[in-house]
Amino acid sequence: MTIFRTFTLISTGLTYLIIFIGGMVRVSGAGMGCPDWPKCFGRWIPPTNISQIPDYIDPAKFNIVLAWIEYFNRLFGALVGLSIMVTLFLGMKYYFNRPHIRWPLIVAFILTLFQGWLGSVLVDTILNPITITLHLFFALIILILLVYVSQQAYYIDNSRAENNSKYPSNMRSIFCAIAIVLFAEIILGTEIRGGLEMIRKDNPMVESQFLIDMLGPFKYAHTILGILITVLTMISWYFLVKKSINPSSLMVQTSSAIVLLILVQIILGEMLVFLEFIPIIQLFHLWIASWILGLVSIQYVAWQRSTLNNE
Amino acid sequence: MNKFVYLVIFVSIVMGLGANWIINKAQNSIDIPIIKQVPEFSYLNHKGESYTNKNFNEKVTVLDFIFTSCTGPCPIMTFNMENLYKDFKGIEEVQFLSITVDPYVDTQDKLKMYAELIGVNDNRWQFLRSDIDDIKNLKRNGFMLYADNLPNGHSIKFILIDHRGNIRKYYDGTDKASQEILKKDIVYLVNEIKT
Repeated sequence: MTIFRTFTLISTGLTYLIIFIGGMVRVSGAGMGCPDWPKCFGRWIPPTNISQIPDYIDPAKFNIVLAWIEYFNRLFGALVGLSIMVTLFLGMKYYFNRPHIRWPLIVAFILTLFQGWLGSVLVDTILNPITITLHLFFALIILILLVYVSQQAYYIDNSRAENNSKYPSNMRSIFCAIAIVLFAEIILGTEIRGGLEMIRKDNPMVESQFLIDMLGPFKYAHTILGILITVLTMISWYFLVKKSINPSSLMVQTSSAIVLLILVQIILGEMLVFLEFIPIIQLFHLWIASWILGLVSIQYVAWQRSTLNNE
Repeated sequence: MNKFVYLVIFVSIVMGLGANWIINKAQNSIDIPIIKQVPEFSYLNHKGESYTNKNFNEKVTVLDFIFTSCTGPCPIMTFNMENLYKDFKGIEEVQFLSITVDPYVDTQDKLKMYAELIGVNDNRWQFLRSDIDDIKNLKRNGFMLYADNLPNGHSIKFILIDHRGNIRKYYDGTDKASQEILKKDIVYLVNEIKT
């Protein structure tokens, strides 16, 4: 494997990890663990003792556990940024003439810087809900860009990939529909999460079993879109696996993985509704959604490649 | 490919266990040690009724020092206290106290008007007054806050007091982010009464 391909995979893996870590910050309520940005309580290493808090910050805000959770997210974010920067550098060096490598990396790198800035806005606005959703949205965009570049890098090294596979040619609308509905579903999911938080903010003593009843129609929309995604991915599976000539093992396995993960998502989603809002389940519910998004993106690119080859 | 799937599942399980441990740690990270007991006092509230430190019993109290004609930080403090008062509507275990640091101007009638202006319509928020020297003494020695230059030099702190009359924590009463922490800490102390 070339060094460039290795770095595309490292960057993609790290981006998946940072989405997990960001979700962890969210569900553990550590978003304001550091009340300032980029430093934490005016220090590059978060304080371990309340006496280290500077005068201009209310010492009531100090919680060492939350400070470290939040700061770890920032450090890891910096690591992801560095990894994408190296990938961009290598991409420019070896594949400057390939726009499919160059542009996604440039955009991913700019978005990573933007994400850091958005992190500072989050702290300034005391976790404005729309900004939180945007923070996740752009993380998912970066993820898709990196998955795309990784796949393009793979095809450079394996130029015969998808050459012998022939998929139904009219799949574009299904892929577009899945992508749009998936994004909408994730945004709705974060709205549910944010909505519950707002209710708890205004009613701090409310018991968690009443929370879901106090939520508006979002929860139904989330379920309806969930059913839609299930149906769409089943259709997509049927065409890509059953109605294709010699589908690649990548296509078959991603198709099965998507169906399997959708099933897991339904189970986790129902657990959240019927049991309590267990934070670790919320975290995996979001993280698996990002996996599905990445897998669908891989399928689309593979399908497109095969279609172009066959033309 | 199968190897990759197993690796992903294995890594996910490890991450899940790790994340669960961290989330639990975060959820149990509220720690509000007892600072000291509030000394005895006996004041009058805005309705002319007596209010003593015995009224702290079985309630979680948020207390601040203000004066009604103040144009500095007090309006923000009162605005924040008002939000807390609204958020904890119907929760009898939580009460709010504002002690005037300008009792010459803030007569009982003035305090009553102030309470009505804010929309206080029950006993969950009371406005207290006493002799200025009593207040100075309580503020300085009871709450360990600056009390030299009253009324203007009053502190902007919100003080959280538990159901046994112990001072537990101080908050910047003008800081929005501190209010969210205070809210969580109030819930924590209310649960302490119940257990």
